[in-house]
Amino acid sequence: MLEIRGLRKTFGAGKVALDGVSFAVPAGQMFGFVGANGAGKTTTMRIVMKVLTADEGEVLWNGRPLTFTERRTFGYMPEERGLYQKMRVGEQIDYFGRLHGMDAAAVVKAREALVERLGLAARVGDAVESLSLGNQQRVQLAVALIHDPELLILDEPFSGLDPIAVDALAEVLHERARGGVPVIFSSHQLELVERLCDAVGIVSAGRMVASGTVDELRDAEARRLRVVVRDAKPGWADGLAGELSKDGDRDVLTVAGGDDQAVLRKAAEAGHVEFFGVERPTLVEIFREAVA
Amino acid sequence: MSGLWLVAKREISTQVRTRAFVISLVISAVLVGGIAFAPKLFGGPDEYNLGRVGGQELPLQSLAPDAKITWKAFPDEKAATAAVLDGDVDVAVVDSARVLTNGEIDSELGLLLQSANREAQIGAAGVTVTPLQMQSVGADTRYEGARRGISTVLVLLLFFMIIGSVMIVAMGVVEEKGSRIVEILLISVRPWQLLGGKIFGLGVVGFINLAVVLAAGLTGAFLSGFSADFPPGMAGIVVSALLWWVLGYAFFAALAGSLASLVSRQEEVGNVLQPMMLLFMISYGVSFFASASPDHPVAEILSFVPPFSSMVMPVRVAASEVALWEILLSGALMVVAVAAVLMMGGRIYERAVLRTGKRLKITEVLRTK
Repeated sequence: MLEIRGLRKTFGAGKVALDGVSFAVPAGQMFGFVGANGAGKTTTMRIVMKVLTADEGEVLWNGRPLTFTERRTFGYMPEERGLYQKMRVGEQIDYFGRLHGMDAAAVVKAREALVERLGLAARVGDAVESLSLGNQQRVQLAVALIHDPELLILDEPFSGLDPIAVDALAEVLHERARGGVPVIFSSHQLELVERLCDAVGIVSAGRMVASGTVDELRDAEARRLRVVVRDAKPGWADGLAGELSKDGDRDVLTVAGGDDQAVLRKAAEAGHVEFFGVERPTLVEIFREAVA
Repeated sequence: MSGLWLVAKREISTQVRTRAFVISLVISAVLVGGIAFAPKLFGGPDEYNLGRVGGQELPLQSLAPDAKITWKAFPDEKAATAAVLDGDVDVAVVDSARVLTNGEIDSELGLLLQSANREAQIGAAGVTVTPLQMQSVGADTRYEGARRGISTVLVLLLFFMIIGSVMIVAMGVVEEKGSRIVEILLISVRPWQLLGGKIFGLGVVGFINLAVVLAAGLTGAFLSGFSADFPPGMAGIVVSALLWWVLGYAFFAALAGSLASLVSRQEEVGNVLQPMMLLFMISYGVSFFASASPDHPVAEILSFVPPFSSMVMPVRVAASEVALWEILLSGALMVVAVAAVLMMGGRIYERAVLRTGKRLKITEVLRTK
């Protein structure tokens, strides 16, 4: 379990990057980190990986301050990718595995399985610089995954990948999460986050403005009714606190909360009800709401 | 420790596989081997081809025992003249009385012929001449030329071999910082392991490089016979060059590695290394001076002051006789300096290497924790 408590970070020139970010990711959870550019996602991840030092706050691993030895078991994919351009793919993955403390035989075994999964098997002997950016990204992922990490922190792991590679990576991450590893990743692809993650944290201007499972976030939003009525009498919705719009000969009414049965009776009197239901907000809508 | 070893191993295997490494090794080995072999091509014993028409062969060999002298007899003066003009022989002696030359005679050969002629005539008159005995009452200067040559080559060798390896350290540090690989590396290794492994690994490569070049030089010298002129203690000179290279390299590499960690782009390396380059160029200049004047007070004093001593002392050892206590004292001082710069450099590196972006100032790096 990774806990982040009250992280604050101000860069030179008084720019506040983090203004008290706190959240926790339990074992086996897939945590999606979303937020606008410059909101503080990368800074938070860099502080966890000790690339940056926080001005205030702490990072706890299983209840105790995180140490170098424990961090060494983590897998990290930084925002700005970094690989030795002239080194061969296989040697590079092996090197990082060895640095994480694996022995030579274990590293070869793990690498062979990993390049197969990530579709890199044919490129193992090539220099990194000869690979496309998408393939370099896969190598970067392999470097983060080679030592079977106990926690994964990935900054924008899906950006720049084709749909097939996205699916392959999603599967790999799910597998690790099922094995009990907390997985934290940031992304701007909210549909993807909604689909993959057990929990989501939304940061805005250095603060965690919303966090929880996707269902919790949805429930926190006010319930919204959506009613579609055909050939309705004009002015039927005048007494209802909602937003009315016209779509051809259909009236579409959205109502936040209130007595749903009363709304239904009014609609039925007004015309032919084609749709009546509670709308669940998408993550995109929750996100817009949260950062507004 | 295993982190340091893994980093060093990667540096070694990456470096020895580059084309630049192989090419520079071959070129420097051939160059130094060639220089050592050169005396055979340019110097070598004197060689005279002489013609004779009538008379006796003059006793030149006893006067010039090292020279290679060949006589050739001609039936008449006409044939001898033609041979002189064609260059078949250097000169031709006619009837032990006249010497046919093509223009002015080589002065040494002229003196030899006159002396030989005199000796032959005096000998014929039944008088024996006792040659003068030479006896030096000054310092032994037999090896001065050889020592000067060896120390000049050594200065150049130390210069290129130190700076070459040091620049690779600096560029490697910036490569890792600029590409942010260092952010992943530092999850699993400590900063001192990363910098230390790089310095150690590239040091091993540089040491091998220097050893190969020295071996090529010695081989060239043995093949050319130049080794016969080696001053006593040649093995000591070679070993001392290798050991001093290690100390000098460690000092400048630690300095270069920490300075390079202040910048994030290769273009800035030259600029940020300027203070180190100044120190290095002074060491080079003084050691060059010391190769010609090893006993000058400036050379003597600076052969104890780190880091100048790392280049001046091995050159003094090659250029003249240096007492053992002097070498040990100077070496101990240099070891202390290397330890100090490694500690200080490690601290700068640790604090600077994750701060990508614009160039950092040392004072600013040391102030922040």
